[in-house]
Amino acid sequence: MTLNRRDFLKVSAGTSGSLVFALALPGCSGIQIGYREEEGAWKPDAWLELTTGNKVYFTLARVEMGQGTYTGLTTLIAEELEVDPAAITPKFAPVASEYRNPLYKLQLTGGSTSIATSWMPLRQAGAEAREMLILAAARVWEVDHSECTAFEGHVRHPNGVDTLPYGKLVRLASSETVRHDVALKPQGQWRYIGKARGRLDARAKSTGSAEYGIDIELPGMVYAVVTRPPRYGARIQSFNGSDIQAMPGVLSVLEIERGVAIVAGKYWQARKAQQKLKVEWDNADALGLSTDDVFADYHKAADDDVGERERDDGDFADAAAGAERVLEASYEQPYLAHATLEPMNATAWYHGNSMEVWAPTQAPDLGRIAAARVSDLSPDDITINTTFLGGGFGRRLTQDYIEEAAAVAYSLKTPVKVIWSREEDTRHDLYRPAMLHRMKASVSGGEVTGWHHQVVGPQILDWYVRNAAPAQYPWSPKFLYDTLGKVGLMAEGIATPKDISAIEGAIDYPYKVANVEVRHTHIDPGVPITWWRSVGYSHNGFAAETFMDELAHETGKDPYEFRRALIDHQPRHRAVLDRVAAMSGWKASVPSGRARGIALFQSFGTYVAQVVEASIENDGIHVHRVWCAVDCGQVVNPEIVRDQIEGGIIFGLTAALHGEITLQDGEVQQSNFHDYPLMRNYELPEIIVDIVDSDETPTGVGEPGVPPVIPALGNALFALTGERQRKLPLKAAASSL
Amino acid sequence: MALSLTVNGEKRTLEVDGDTPLLWVIRDELGLKGTKFGCGAGLCGACTVHLDGQPIRSCSTPVDLASGKSVTTIEGLASEGDLHPLQKAWVEYGVPQCGYCQSGQIMSAAYLLKHNPAAERDDIVAALSGNLCRCGTYSKIIAAVESVASGDSVDREGA
Repeated sequence: MTLNRRDFLKVSAGTSGSLVFALALPGCSGIQIGYREEEGAWKPDAWLELTTGNKVYFTLARVEMGQGTYTGLTTLIAEELEVDPAAITPKFAPVASEYRNPLYKLQLTGGSTSIATSWMPLRQAGAEAREMLILAAARVWEVDHSECTAFEGHVRHPNGVDTLPYGKLVRLASSETVRHDVALKPQGQWRYIGKARGRLDARAKSTGSAEYGIDIELPGMVYAVVTRPPRYGARIQSFNGSDIQAMPGVLSVLEIERGVAIVAGKYWQARKAQQKLKVEWDNADALGLSTDDVFADYHKAADDDVGERERDDGDFADAAAGAERVLEASYEQPYLAHATLEPMNATAWYHGNSMEVWAPTQAPDLGRIAAARVSDLSPDDITINTTFLGGGFGRRLTQDYIEEAAAVAYSLKTPVKVIWSREEDTRHDLYRPAMLHRMKASVSGGEVTGWHHQVVGPQILDWYVRNAAPAQYPWSPKFLYDTLGKVGLMAEGIATPKDISAIEGAIDYPYKVANVEVRHTHIDPGVPITWWRSVGYSHNGFAAETFMDELAHETGKDPYEFRRALIDHQPRHRAVLDRVAAMSGWKASVPSGRARGIALFQSFGTYVAQVVEASIENDGIHVHRVWCAVDCGQVVNPEIVRDQIEGGIIFGLTAALHGEITLQDGEVQQSNFHDYPLMRNYELPEIIVDIVDSDETPTGVGEPGVPPVIPALGNALFALTGERQRKLPLKAAASSL
Repeated sequence: MALSLTVNGEKRTLEVDGDTPLLWVIRDELGLKGTKFGCGAGLCGACTVHLDGQPIRSCSTPVDLASGKSVTTIEGLASEGDLHPLQKAWVEYGVPQCGYCQSGQIMSAAYLLKHNPAAERDDIVAALSGNLCRCGTYSKIIAAVESVASGDSVDREGA
C-alpha cells in the first residue's frame, strides 16, 4: 500500500476511508492496538497512544507509590519517542498480560525492578513508534526516511525546514510495518535520560489534586469499616448486629470472612457504630503467642536443626575445627509494620455480572483474584482501577483490603469504600518477619578463615502464593485456586523461582573468605508476613555487616580496612566502599563525643556503602551525618535516585531507632504513631549521597538504601560505647536490653 | 444538625452530625480530597488545614467547633489559579514522593511563613515537626521552605 500527499491530506482530515487497524500481540489478553478512527487515536503498542490532537498517553504498568515510576518510565519511552516527558500524560494500566512484570509473571510493582525491567522494552517501544512516524512522514514528502529526523513531537524534513507534528501522522503511521530492529539512540544523544529533572507528578501532589485510592468518589457511594479478629485464627461466635443496625446512618451489618463489616451512609457513622459493636470471638483455634515465645521458638528451632544448606563454599566445619578461635554472635530483629501514610482502603462496585474495584495496589492482578474469591465472578469479570499509592513499601502487594471491599460490595447494589483506621492498619498489617541470626566465624593468624550464617525464621512466599499462583493462571477454575496455591509452593524452585526472601543478602555474602556456609532454619510462627522495603536484605544486612564489624574489632583492624582487604576481588563493591571512605573522610578525626560506623551491602543489583556518624545525648541516640555511595548502573533520573536512597536511609533509621511490633497473648500491642513512631524531621541527619558514574544496565534504587544504614549505625554506637548492638531496635545503652 | 462554615472563601451550609471530624466533612461532604486522613489522632499532620488562620488537625476537630469559622484547605491556597509560592517551590524542588503527606506539610509551612516570612531552618523544623513523611522527603521539604523564606528560587507574589 502506498500513500501520496493527496491521500495524506485526505486521511489526516479524518473525512473518509476508514482504516481501522487492529491486531493483538501474541499471548495478549486484549489490549487492542492500531488506529481508532472515531477517537483519532493510534496505539502502536500496549504502552503508547498518540492522537490526531497531538496528545501522547503512556500506559504506566508499574504503579507510582513515591518511587518515581511515573517520571522515570515516562522518561524512558519519551527519550526514544522524541517527545518531552512533560508533554506525555501517564495513565495507570488496567490488568492485562502485556503489563506483567517479566521477572515475576505477575502484574506487580516491587523488588526494585521497575527501571531494570523497563529499560529495554520501553525504549524499544518508543523507538518503534518513532520510526513508524518517520516512515509515514517520509512517504508524505516522498523522501528517503533515513534522512528524516524526529524531535519534540515532530518529524523534520531532510531540508531541515519543513516539519510535521506527530498528530498529523498517527493515522498514516498506523499502516506502517513495525520494525523491531530499529536502533536505540546512543547515550551521547540522550536528551532526558540521566538529566536531573523534576517529577511529573509534583504539581498534582502539591495542590491536593493527585487522586489516591482513598479519594475515589462514586455516585451513591457508601462506606464500610471492618472489625477483624484481634488474634489470628479467631472466629466470630456472635455479635450484637441488631443493636448496630439500629444506629444512625447504618445500612447493614454483615459477617464476611475477614470479620464484621458495618456499612453506613457516611464514614463517621460507620466508625461510631463500630465503637458499639461487641463481638464474641471463638479463640479455640487462635494464635495466643507473644513475641518472647516467637524468639524462644526460634532459638529452640535453631538448636534442633541447623537448617537447609543454602550455600556451601569450602568446608566451614573443617575451618572451624582447625581455627585458633571461633567467634559466635546472634542477632534478633522484631516484626515491623509498613505504616504507609495512606491507610489500607479499597472501593468496589458490584454490577450483578461484573465488579469494578478502585484501589491503591501494587498487584492489580492479584487484586482480581482476591475479589473473585469472595464473589461468584471470574477474574475476567473484575476490573481493577489503580490509583496513586500513598506509600507501598510492599504492604500493597497483599490484597486483603481489596478482598474486604469486594466481599462487602458483593452484598450491595451500591459502590462501597472500605477505609482502615490507623489502628487497624497497624494491628492487621502483614509484617516484616521477626528473625534470628546465628553467626560463627573462624579466625586464625588474624585472618577470617570461615563464615557461617544461620538464618532462622519464616519465608514470605508461604503467605503470598495463595493469590499469586492463581493470578498467573487467571483462566483456571476457582475451585482450583487453593490447589494452585499449594502446587505453587510445591513447585517452588522447580516451576517457580525459589523463595529466597529469608536468605537474600546472606547467600550472596561477598567477601573473600575461603569457607562460607549459609543455612536456613525454616520456622513460621503463624504471624502474617509480607514483603517490606528491602525484604530479607533488611535483616540479613544487619546480621552480616554487624558481625563483620565484630570480626574487624576482634582481629584488631579498622572496620573500613578490614572490609577493603576482603573485597578487592569485587570491583563495584570496592568502588563504593572506597568512595564512601573518601567522602566521609573516614580516617579524619571525628567531632568529639561522636563516632562512626561503616557498612557495605549489595541488594537488588545495586551496590551501597554508608558511613553513619552518631552520638548519645541525654540517653538518646542522635544520628548526625550519613554518607552514602551508590552504584545502580545507568541513572535515568539522578534526582529521583538521590531521593530514593535518602528515603531508604530514613526508612532504615526509623527501623533502627524506633521500629518494633510486639505481640502479647496473640494481640499486636502497637496501634498508632505514638507507639509505632516514624522518624520526624528534627531527627533528620545530614545525608550526603554520591552516585557512581556507570554504563552498566540500570538496577533498582527504591530499596537498596535501607539495609546498610542499620548496621552502620549500630557499628557507630559500638565505636562510641564499646557495647555491641545485637538486637533491634537499637538502644542508647545496649546493656539495658 | 445544620451548620455553616466558610471553606476557601465560600460559605457552606451542611446537614451533618456535629461530632463528625472536620476532615470527613471537608473530604466527603464538600468533595475536597486534597486534605488527607493519616492517623485520626492528630499524630501525623496529613489532615492539617487552617481554621481562622490557625493550623489545626482536622481529623480530631469536631465540625461543630468550626461552625461559623473560616477554613482554608490545600485547594484554597493558590490564589486565582496562581500557585502559592510554597507550591511552586514544591514543584521546583520535586519534593513529593508518594505525596500523601504533602498537603499537610504545605499547610503547616504556609502558616509559618505567613507569620515568620524570614523563617530559618530551626523555625521550619519546629513548625513542621508534627508532620510525618514516611517516604523521608524531609530534607527537600526544608530546602523548599527555606527557598521561599529567603526568596531564593521562586517569585514571592501572593506570599
